[in-house]
Amino acid sequence: MATTISNTDSRTIRNVRVKANFERTAFMFMRSSGIILVILAVGHVMLQLIFNNVHYLSVEFVAEQWSSWGWKVYDMALLVFALTHGINGFRNVLEDYIHNRGAMKVINILLVIFLVVSIVWAGYAIASADPAAMDAAALGQ
Amino acid sequence: MGTLITTVTESIRYRGRSGQYTWLAHRLAGLGILAFLVIHVWDTANASFAPNVYAWTIEVFKTPFFGLGEIAVFGAVLFHSFNGLRITLLDYKPTWWHQQKRSVTIVWVLFLIVFVPLGLYLLLGIVDSCQHPPVWEWAGQTATGASCFSFPPTSLYGIGS
Ligand code: HEM
Repeated sequence: MATTISNTDSRTIRNVRVKANFERTAFMFMRSSGIILVILAVGHVMLQLIFNNVHYLSVEFVAEQWSSWGWKVYDMALLVFALTHGINGFRNVLEDYIHNRGAMKVINILLVIFLVVSIVWAGYAIASADPAAMDAAALGQ
Repeated sequence: MGTLITTVTESIRYRGRSGQYTWLAHRLAGLGILAFLVIHVWDTANASFAPNVYAWTIEVFKTPFFGLGEIAVFGAVLFHSFNGLRITLLDYKPTWWHQQKRSVTIVWVLFLIVFVPLGLYLLLGIVDSCQHPPVWEWAGQTATGASCFSFPPTSLYGIGS
């Protein structure tokens, strides 16, 4: 841990370099994924809720979006970043209130399993989506 | 349980002013978005795996109470993202911490400027959806509902038959 101390006016600023550890990486991830989510999550909400009025949402609409690789990649990136950021945030919240280390360990394992299963399940749904079959189901053909 | 009660009462009682309320709002917004997101992710996966189930659920989600929830989640995303950027910026620039109170005010004002008109627009969409009874269409068949509050019949979508 290297520390540099500088004095500007009446305040003391300590620049501390912390060696990489899990909590530091998680802290940095919350910030970097947050910046990415401003584009992915806010963009997604603006697009789907405001510009493509939700009242028109249909299976055909989703089929059309998932016939484009660009939107598939967008949706998968959003899936990975939003869920990982949200579940890690949830872990942070729980750690503030649950002080039993054993219980927290079990919860952390369950959260990781839930995160991985959700990403694999929904990621596979996007990757394997068959727009022609989705349209056929909607039209009853 | 004791911790939970202390947490809830202290979060309201403690008078940390704008910074503390903003911290609480950031936390509640994050948890709210996550709750929505988990349902949304598993539901949307059905568009691919079981289109008929997905088609039924999105018609349920178009009813007014879910619509109001959607507006709340929309507001939560806007507030949490603006405030998240503020947190990130101040973590990166400790010399700016003496401006934290002002930064909180800026976040709330920006949030209201964006959220109020767009939230009203979404609210009008709900009102509009209640002007005509809903008509649902699936696999070449149609059904109508009594009012905008009605859920579509599962039988139309071949669910549970
Ligand atoms: C849209 C852009 C977003 C930005 C810029 C952002 C930013 C942040 C930041 C910087 C933190 C850390 C706060 C701290 O450590 O004090 C945080 C916490 C959190 N975020 Fe986000 N986030 C965003 C989207 C989301 C989404 C989509 C979710 C839900 C899936 C979410 C859920 C959470 C949760 C549950 C926390 C923990 C709250 C706490 O510790 O009090 N965030 N966010």
